[in-house]
Amino acid sequence: MKVSKQEKALTRKRILRAAVDVISEKGFKSASMREIARRAEVGDATIYNYFPTKESLLYGYCEEKQREVAEALKMIDDFNEYTLREQLQQLTETELALWLPDREFLAEVFTLTFSAPVAGAVNLAETRRLFNHMVEEMIDAAIEVGEIPDQPYRELLAPLYWDYFTGVLAFWLKDDSQGYANTTQLVDRSVEMIAMVLQTALIGKALDLFSFMFRSQISRHLEKLGDYTAPWKQAKRRFMDGGDG
Amino acid sequence: MADSIPTGKLARTGIAGSAMLKAGSRHLRHAAKRPFLSEAARHQQQQQLDDETARILFQTFTRLRGSALKIAQMLSMESNLMPEWFRREMAKSYHQVPPLGRPLIRKLIMQEFNKPAEELFAYFDSKAFAAASLGQVHGATGAQGENLAVKLQYPGIDVTIDSDIQLLRSLIKPTRYARLLLSSIDEIEQRLHEEVDYHHEADNNEWFKTRLRIPGVNIPAVYRDYSSKRILATERLSGDHLEAWLHTNPTQQERDHFGQLLYDIFVHSFYRLHALHADPNPGNYLFTGDGTLGLLDFGCVRYYSSDFVSLMPVLLHAYMTRDADEVISTYQRLGMVAAMTEKELQTFYDQTLQPFGDWLTKPFKAGRFDFSRRETSYTAEGWRSFKQLTNVHKINDLANEFIYFDRTFFGLYQIFERMGACIDMEHQWLV
Repeated sequence: MKVSKQEKALTRKRILRAAVDVISEKGFKSASMREIARRAEVGDATIYNYFPTKESLLYGYCEEKQREVAEALKMIDDFNEYTLREQLQQLTETELALWLPDREFLAEVFTLTFSAPVAGAVNLAETRRLFNHMVEEMIDAAIEVGEIPDQPYRELLAPLYWDYFTGVLAFWLKDDSQGYANTTQLVDRSVEMIAMVLQTALIGKALDLFSFMFRSQISRHLEKLGDYTAPWKQAKRRFMDGGDG
Repeated sequence: MADSIPTGKLARTGIAGSAMLKAGSRHLRHAAKRPFLSEAARHQQQQQLDDETARILFQTFTRLRGSALKIAQMLSMESNLMPEWFRREMAKSYHQVPPLGRPLIRKLIMQEFNKPAEELFAYFDSKAFAAASLGQVHGATGAQGENLAVKLQYPGIDVTIDSDIQLLRSLIKPTRYARLLLSSIDEIEQRLHEEVDYHHEADNNEWFKTRLRIPGVNIPAVYRDYSSKRILATERLSGDHLEAWLHTNPTQQERDHFGQLLYDIFVHSFYRLHALHADPNPGNYLFTGDGTLGLLDFGCVRYYSSDFVSLMPVLLHAYMTRDADEVISTYQRLGMVAAMTEKELQTFYDQTLQPFGDWLTKPFKAGRFDFSRRETSYTAEGWRSFKQLTNVHKINDLANEFIYFDRTFFGLYQIFERMGACIDMEHQWLV
């Protein structure tokens, strides 16, 4: 029997949903693939066709979330009229709103990712790519219409926002204020600051400054080394002269 | 110890001007005692430095959203002795605040009505037209075509009041105005907690709309269908705010007219309704070309006991006729407890109450009182005589109803001075 693409997507979603429920209830370690399969009403073997490991379920759901966020943003009529600051804030708020029903699950993701940072980073690669893609689109659009100046090291900005956003999520998971009011305020104020940084292309300037300092310090130290570097200088000269002889 | 900070209840609650006057006079005493006052240059330099610090501080306040801004505004009302630049900064802040961005507006409306603005209203302007207590006001059109002013509260403000207050306390402490400002903050904190519930304000608004019937005064209707704890929708009135209206160079007649209306509202509310719209913030009045006054923002309303209302004219009459016994006994009926001998009481009256009473009743004696053409402003004169009251240690209790009463009429008087209005004040208090 051939399973249509659409059906496949639905099954995938159902499995993810079940995984979230089971993991939220029991914690990642105690949740079993078998139970998830049963909850999703798929065969014990079928589940492995979709998700080969328990980890892939965890991170698969994070990826799914990013697609939902992108959809939700598209649903906002005048989203393209928002300023960059508003767009970034809306992105962050939408993430929080959509993660809200799965807050316990997210906490599991955090625990797991932080206990094994390298593996976590690898597993979250696709999630990060989807998230960064949204941020890049917003920044590119803002530069295109001249809302912010062109940014040196533009490719660094989205990953930086991802890092910031990870921080926001961590804060939110620990936030016990009513209605997560403290997170709302944190986001409101920090996004304003981020918008200001982008406005002045500060990150590029800071990096320029940093690399200038780095180079000048290094060369100063190299001079101090004096004689030790002489052979290197000679070698370099010889190397550069190499062509001639 | 003669030089200690006044702790008497009379000083704290005040018969007039309450905390603002007390704080101001304390501050002056402090300044007068500076040891190197004669070194004028050095003093001036210090002052400039202090002013600069404070200016930066308060510019920071105004940039902060939410309760911090509201507190700064309240402080500016509170402390009418704050320097001119401070009031200027605050006056700006009433209508110019960092706007609430679309994401938060969306979040708030979703939270309160479970649908976005575009589904709730026929039209919703995502750009605010005014700042309001703890939020901002947007123009909108209701499903039936109602012209609405929708007040949105900054999300999370109700939760963060306490921490903001804490923050402000620590920010204020190192400045020269610390004593002046800190003394008002507890009171403000309490008011803030009340004001964050817009249901409460909607009730007050409707209460006044049904009862306060003065020709030429317009109170907006509340639209409950579009209101919640954090959103308040009312009819949108037209008109200019005080400063904008003054820029149109209104005639003396217009100034007098609006001043009189404001005064009549005050007297009528107090005597007939036993309640006061106790937030004489210039942003709460709308002046129109046809002479109608719009009365907005019922977040701070105070209700008075019949005893208090009926004893007020008795007190004023006693002050008018300089009847020492009557003044003292009325205060006692109002709850004042003074640990003084007969003789001390008499001295207290002669040195403190009588000069204050003379100041207080001046406009009533004049009948028609001109707030503009005076050598020193009337409120500044009052502060001088009130300074005396802050030195009284032996008054232990006094009706706390005085606080809002005093604040309201002081606030109004300041607005009259700003307007340069001439007002009939005689008849109404002394019937």
